[in-house]
Amino acid sequence: MAPDRAPPPDIVCRALDKRFGDVEVLAPFDVTFEAGKTTALVGPSGCGKSTLLRLIAGLDTADSGELSIGGQTADAVRGAGGLAIAFQDASLLPWRTARGNVALAQRLARQPVDRVAIDALLNRVGLTGFLDTRPGALSGGMRQRAAIARCLITRPRLLLLDEPFGAVDELTRRQLGLELPPLWRSEGTTTVMVTHSVTEAIFLSDRILVLSPRPARVLEDVEVRLGHPRASEMMEQAEFIDAFKTVTAALERGEAQRQNALAAQ
Amino acid sequence: MIRASSATVHFPGTRMVMGAVCVLAAWQGLAAATTGALLVAGPLEVINHIAENAGLYARAVGVTLSSAAWGFLLGNLAAVVLAALAILRPRAQGVISGLALLTFCLPLVATGPILRVVFGPGEGPQITLAALAVYYTTYISVLVGLRAVPATWLDLVTSYGRGRGTALWRVQAYAALPYLVSGLQIAAPAAILGALVGEFTGAERGLGVLTLQAMRDLDVTATWAIASLAAVLSIMLHAGIGWIANRVLNEEPPLILAPPVARGKPNYSRSGAATGALTALIALSLWWGIAEISQLSSFFFKRPDDVWVFLVSSDTAAQNRAELTASGLETARALLPGYFAGLGAGAGLAILLTLVPGLSSVAMPIAIALRAAPIVTTAPLLVLVVGRGAVGSAVLVAVMVFFPVLIACLHGLSRAPGQVLDVMDSYAAGRWRTLIYARLPAMLPAFFGAARMTVPAAVLAVTVVEWLATGRGLGALMALSASLSNYGMLWSVTLVVAVSAVAGYAAVARLERAVLSVFASEQVQ
Ligand SMILES: Nc1ncnc2c1ncn2[C@@H]1O[C@H](COP(=O)(O)OP(=O)(O)O)[C@@H](O)[C@H]1O
Ligand SMILES: [Mg+2]
Repeated sequence: MAPDRAPPPDIVCRALDKRFGDVEVLAPFDVTFEAGKTTALVGPSGCGKSTLLRLIAGLDTADSGELSIGGQTADAVRGAGGLAIAFQDASLLPWRTARGNVALAQRLARQPVDRVAIDALLNRVGLTGFLDTRPGALSGGMRQRAAIARCLITRPRLLLLDEPFGAVDELTRRQLGLELPPLWRSEGTTTVMVTHSVTEAIFLSDRILVLSPRPARVLEDVEVRLGHPRASEMMEQAEFIDAFKTVTAALERGEAQRQNALAAQ
Repeated sequence: MIRASSATVHFPGTRMVMGAVCVLAAWQGLAAATTGALLVAGPLEVINHIAENAGLYARAVGVTLSSAAWGFLLGNLAAVVLAALAILRPRAQGVISGLALLTFCLPLVATGPILRVVFGPGEGPQITLAALAVYYTTYISVLVGLRAVPATWLDLVTSYGRGRGTALWRVQAYAALPYLVSGLQIAAPAAILGALVGEFTGAERGLGVLTLQAMRDLDVTATWAIASLAAVLSIMLHAGIGWIANRVLNEEPPLILAPPVARGKPNYSRSGAATGALTALIALSLWWGIAEISQLSSFFFKRPDDVWVFLVSSDTAAQNRAELTASGLETARALLPGYFAGLGAGAGLAILLTLVPGLSSVAMPIAIALRAAPIVTTAPLLVLVVGRGAVGSAVLVAVMVFFPVLIACLHGLSRAPGQVLDVMDSYAAGRWRTLIYARLPAMLPAFFGAARMTVPAAVLAVTVVEWLATGRGLGALMALSASLSNYGMLWSVTLVVAVSAVAGYAAVARLERAVLSVFASEQVQ
């Protein structure tokens, strides 16, 4: 971990409440994300995962409840360039090259633009040969790699990833899921990641929270007892299979509850 | 920002040439059919005339272009600054837009003579009128562009703790560039129009001066020559800006029709009525403030209270009001039929063209090019053809409204989502049912947007024709008041015209909201 950088923060959510009009998205939501760990959020679509990430990033505000990031507010962490978020779509600026998009993050975080570091990082995420290409000419997977490089270049203490590999085919997805996490793990970063793939959640995280259909509650809190770095072969391990079964069972429970609630109406 | 890849630059070259040939042939035919009537000079005659007087026309074009260029520069600069302000202060957006619209609705026929008195001889009025003619459309274009940014791009900026200024500079400014270009394309012909109207108010040189001369001398060939020159200049500028933008941005400028109407309840707390009242208050204070600070003679620079005295509390107030009302009714008799005829013809032709496959893609570039022609300069021609009655003014208003509406509707009709059209196809719905269920609903927002934006254009057209050609209505009343130094009347008419135009715009916007909330609720932003 670099010496000039504050340690990763924990995130404490207390009784968070969030609604959009009549839609209750979080009602009351309590959870603590441990400092320096990667936590995966898994749950049916529309249950409020993106909303939770946006609340943590301070892009939206909760209707009530408390949210602290290492004892600070989201605003304070953001202002110090300590936060980075990857959106569901890559959200690259189309008029900037891959390099330019990554450089922009450093500018926005008020850090000096470090061309050597940018090129090295882009090469590391596998964009060699496409550094000067604009997003329009990159494939979906390449765009998401560039978006992740944009997140990592500022060496955030808090990393928020919203389905970062959503637009990528299964094979590339597996490959990225194995290659990229060491980049942020080595920095000591608190990571919260949303994914729809149970396998991906297990491969990438230290802990998995399974969320219920809206309003989101934690149905299951699963610790992933696999070592680092992760490797494809771990899929055969009992720990992997146990985690897979627990998470899948919790997801099915959530779905059954939803069906019952619908039938009761 | 030149891209490395050499993407093909899409330019509707062949279609344009085809269209130009058609227009020229029709024109020559019309001239041949009406020889002896002294109405129409054909293209050959016009070219001959211009060639014979090449020096004269070159000098005049140079003068007019220079005024137009200055106005273009200043007006667009103001527009960009205003749009940036509106984005940085979202709560002030309603008031900024309202003031911008009100200023845009000031009738050039009145502001021209007033500016002439303020500036005296020289280029001042031409440049100011050109700037006034361009800034609103550019303001709207840039504002639409600045707002058309995906929310996550702004979230990205926020996630690094940076504010609106950074978002504007780093993200929205670039994203709005194609929209700016599209605004500039519309602005170029408008600047020429503004400069011409400025020259009508008593300039020494320029195409506008030649126009007045030709009209006085009933010189049909010269009138056609000047209108053609102005049209060709405008079309060339429109195309030239598009071409440059195409090379630089490597992107087709978007077709901007109008800013979307705000939903009934916008996310800032002020209501529409409160915004309107605040705008009116600020406008009045500005009017007063400028009068006080500039120390201009109160003989010709009237203040709001002078207008009140003139229209309400003086001895002759009743008589003044009667005169104004009579002219107003005369103007309305030309304006309203012309406006609705233009709307109907534009939408109707667009629908017709869509029913014949392939035709609309040919019609679109021709319509876009003709829209660029400064239609008001054809006023003298039109009066030659249809006479001085209300019909002449109505026809010109209709033509002025027709082109933007046609373009907007063609665009809207072609915008029915592909999947919806596929669904229609899968039920073997014919052309008509596809039109009614899929294309017309997609056309409505574009149609209303254009209907709203053409209200000020229609008012401009009718007042200019009345002034230049028919000698009736509010346009003539303004011209007469200016030449008789009856400044109380001039300022009163100006106020009435501007407020009526804004009210017309607001009325169309209200109707638009009502119709769209029923037929295209997802389109009401
Ligand atoms: N800005 C918004 N306005 C209204 N409703 C919203 C908004 N954002 C999200 N929602 C609603 O909140 C719920 C949760 O959304 P989201 O957090 O995006 O779910 P997901 O878990 O799929 O990421 C959904 O029902 C969605 O429709
Ligand atoms: Mg989501």
